[in-house]
Order: sequence, then C-alpha cells, then structure tokens
Amino acid sequence: MVELEPVIASLVNNKVEFVIIGGIAITHYGSSYVTQDFDFCFLRSPENIQCLVNAMSPFNPRLRDFPAELPFIFDTATLQNGTNFTFDTDVGDIDLLGEVAGVGTYADVKENSIEIKMFEQPVRILSLEALIKAKRAAGRTKDLLVLPELEALLELKNEGEI
Amino acid sequence: MKRSLEEKLLNPRPGSKVAAAKEFGIDLTLLLKNLRLTPQQRIDQLQEVMRVHHQIREQAKHQLKSKKM
Repeated sequence: MVELEPVIASLVNNKVEFVIIGGIAITHYGSSYVTQDFDFCFLRSPENIQCLVNAMSPFNPRLRDFPAELPFIFDTATLQNGTNFTFDTDVGDIDLLGEVAGVGTYADVKENSIEIKMFEQPVRILSLEALIKAKRAAGRTKDLLVLPELEALLELKNEGEI
Repeated sequence: MKRSLEEKLLNPRPGSKVAAAKEFGIDLTLLLKNLRLTPQQRIDQLQEVMRVHHQIREQAKHQLKSKKM
C-alpha cells in the first residue's frame, strides 16, 4: 500500500514535474480496479531529479527486491543512471518512470495529461485515452484485464456522461 | 430520447464498449457506484481499501510467524 497524501504533498511542495499514471489515475476516472502502489512519470532533467530527491528522501526509498544488506543511496546520481525505478518507502510502494510504454517520454506523457486537484493539490494525471494506450503497450495480463473497463469509461466520456 | 448514465450502464446498448465490458465480466453496478462519487472520493475509497488490504496481509504474516515458532 502507499499513503498517497503525504507523497503528493511532498512532490508538489518540492516543485517536482510529474504526471500520475497507473492505478491511481485509473481510480480517478472511476474504475473499481484496486492498486497497491503509486506510479508516476517524471521529467529526467538534472533540476527536476534534484527536486525529486528532495521530495522523496524523507520517505527513505529503497529499491524493491534489492538485498537489504547491500548499500543503496537514493540520490541524483542514482536517478540519473536509470529510467524506471520501483521503490519500497516508509509510506509504501512507489514506482518512478522516466518513460511510459505506448505513450513515450515525459514530454509526450505531459502532452497527454490533464490537470486536476488531488488532496487539494494541483497535479497532472495521464488522460484516459493515453492510459488505454499505456495498458495495451504494457501487455501484461493485469494490464489487459483493466482494458474493457477503461474502454467503457472512454465511451461514456465521449458521450459526455463523465 | 437520451439515455441516462444509469440506463447506459445497467442496460448497455448491444455492440457498445459498455456492453463489451459487461460481457468481459466487469461489474457495471460497481462502476456506476464509483461514477456517482467525486474523483477525490474515489481516491479516498481506494486509500481505505489499500489500508485494509495491508492490515490483513500483516496479520496473515504475523499468524504465519507465530505458527512457525
């Protein structure tokens, strides 16, 4: 699980450029799909990575499925040397993606996102259309299972119902 | 005559994406319930489900540990 409110507040307060994707975005649109983690796409510029380190460090991120006895430092060098990361933190599981399959880089993701309020904070989330593309591109069983519901939601959205 | 959201979900038009979701096994009554909530209420509801799921998993882990001892 993840405690969403403190994470989102820290990201916003530290001026991180990010777009919420995955299960949290899907829930926003009305799906009954249940996720246990918080996924977001981030801009991989040095300035934004520094903001991200400032925002996430208080939650003590450790790489998920990484031996606890091995040293791990959550810093700008670590984030600059990779694209996608899965972290265990003191507030839950958080996945950071530099790119989203089916959508593209952060610039593409941002272009396919909308601004909303979550916990009274201004945040961006991936559009329903782009979420469908991302889930289709990811292609895992758990992604494909949610597609019919997302497509139904998109149909209702296009009909002006939601 | 324009059909309401309730009608579209509870009696989907054949050939629609909503009908396909129903055929796939999506519970459209749950979807309708969620759509009646605000987006923030949906996130709050998910957060509660996450917490309950976490508690159950932790209890199960604890019970497993106790059995092994």
